[in-house]
Amino acid sequence: MSKSLIQNNIRKLRFHSGEMTQQELADKAGASRQTIVAIEKGNYSPSLELAFRIALAFNTPLEEVFTYNTANDLH
Amino acid sequence: MSYQEKQNIVNIFSGVLVAAIYGWIVYQKHIQGSFDLTEDFAKWGVIFLIFIGISIVVRVVIQIIFHIINAIATREEDVPVADERDKIIRLMAIRNSYYAFSGGFIVSTVALALGMPVYGIFIAFVAFGLIAEVIDNGSQLYYYRKGS
Repeated sequence: MSKSLIQNNIRKLRFHSGEMTQQELADKAGASRQTIVAIEKGNYSPSLELAFRIALAFNTPLEEVFTYNTANDLH
Repeated sequence: MSYQEKQNIVNIFSGVLVAAIYGWIVYQKHIQGSFDLTEDFAKWGVIFLIFIGISIVVRVVIQIIFHIINAIATREEDVPVADERDKIIRLMAIRNSYYAFSGGFIVSTVALALGMPVYGIFIAFVAFGLIAEVIDNGSQLYYYRKGS
C-alpha cells in the first residue's frame, strides 16, 4: 500500500477534540489504533465506511476530515 | 509491538519448529527401516494427515500459551478484533503465500519431469508448504512493521 493521494486532518481534529487519543478515536470508529496511526500518517486509505465513521467520531462532515490531493493525481 | 506482529512471530517459529521436529522424527524412522519413504507412497499420505493433526493441536496450544503470556505481560486480556486493514494485510499475505507455493509446485513439477524421484515431490511439497507459511506470516509482519 503506497503513500495515499488522500490527505487527512485527523491530527488537527484530534487536537481540537480535547486532544483525543488515537486509541479513543479507534474505539469510537471501530478500528484498531494501528489502523488510525496508518491513516493519520497517510500510509493507508480507509474504506468509505470507516472514513464516515471517523468523521462521525469528530461530529464533522467527511470532507473536513479527508481531502483528495488532485495536484499529484496523474490520471 | 502490536498483538498481530507478536502473533506472526510466534506463528513463524511454531510452524518451523513443529515441521522440523516432525520431519526429523519421520526421517529417523525411515533411517531405522520402520518404513521406506522412497517406495511406500501410501505412507506419505498417512504422514501428511498425522502432520496436519499434530500441527493443528500443537499450534492451538502454542497460541493459547502465547495469549496467556501476552495478557500477563501487557495486562490486556482481549484479543484485538480484526478490522478492515487487518483483513487487507491478511489477504495480501495470503496472495504472497499462494505465489510461493504455486512457484514451488511448478519447480517441483519441472524437477519431476527432469527425472527427480517421485518421493522428492512429497519432500518438495513439505518444504514449499513451510516456505509459503513463513512467507504468509513474514508478509503480515512486514506490512504491519511498514505501517501500511
